[in-house]
Amino acid sequence: MKTRFKKYTVEIPEEMAIPFAGIVESPKPNGEQPMMLTGGWRIYRPVIDSEKCVMCKSCVLACPDATVLLVDGGNKIGFNLDYCKGCGLCTWVCPVNAIDRVPELDFEDGVPFQDALFLLPHVEALYAD
Amino acid sequence: MIEITVWCTGVIQDKEGRDVCLVLTEAAFNEGKFTQAFDNYVDLPDRINVQVRKYARISDTVIENVFEYENHKPNIIGVTEATIMKGINVCYGIQPGSVLVINTTKDPEELLKYVPAKQKKNLKAVATIDALGIAPEQLIDYSGSEGAEDASAIGGGLGAAMAGAIAAVSGLVKKESVLAAAANRTAAKRGYDEVKIKQL
Repeated sequence: MKTRFKKYTVEIPEEMAIPFAGIVESPKPNGEQPMMLTGGWRIYRPVIDSEKCVMCKSCVLACPDATVLLVDGGNKIGFNLDYCKGCGLCTWVCPVNAIDRVPELDFEDGVPFQDALFLLPHVEALYAD
Repeated sequence: MIEITVWCTGVIQDKEGRDVCLVLTEAAFNEGKFTQAFDNYVDLPDRINVQVRKYARISDTVIENVFEYENHKPNIIGVTEATIMKGINVCYGIQPGSVLVINTTKDPEELLKYVPAKQKKNLKAVATIDALGIAPEQLIDYSGSEGAEDASAIGGGLGAAMAGAIAAVSGLVKKESVLAAAANRTAAKRGYDEVKIKQL
């Protein structure tokens, strides 16, 4: 029987290949937007036990904010704590229970601190001393 | 006029934060004071765990600024989840002689490091209360922060313990008034009695 489709093989050059889970390095032309940082929402921080981790990358796919990263040349899992909201989905999907949830107040760093509230100029004037 | 701002986490503690304001204002209203308690949509409170503010005002005279839906210079700050303090300056804009009441199992000294020096000099006292341990029931309100229906009683959860603690630290309202206003009378009483205060 004759097939309707031909089989094609496309050679994708290395520099044009789509990375795993579609995470691309964003150029950030205006720098980090401090108003958009969601690290302050986090109550429990994900902490990974690299010895237990089997690199199945379920957590990378599960993270709604793409804050689970492949670091160390793609050999390890890391977290972008500026944006991680602590939802716990990575802990939930991990098949080997390698990701723990630790209270954020147990750590000294990791959360971008907002010294002032983000206000429109005419509202800012009402807060001024 | 005394202005109260309560910081809570979006959706998860939305009702509890609102309850702190409602219990305190109802207690003050029954003592014959003029009160306001309100939410504001400015913090986009429909997102789970976002830092949200709830407001209350208590005054001996008529409150005239009815169209300002934000407390710009608060006197009392309540924090229903201590981790909020790590990410945001909850004391922004406080008046001299303000008090800060936090729901946590930790001691007041441990959380002072999250208050910048400019605001710390305006603080009169810091207090902590294990409100979640006293009243662990939290009503998670997925209907958002826009009022909707609130069939459950006011001050049934940790909001009652927080309101009791704020009354004890600030001396704003009498103990009996808070107990009468909160649905969970035991939690309000324990909040009033078990609060750990550090004078600065």
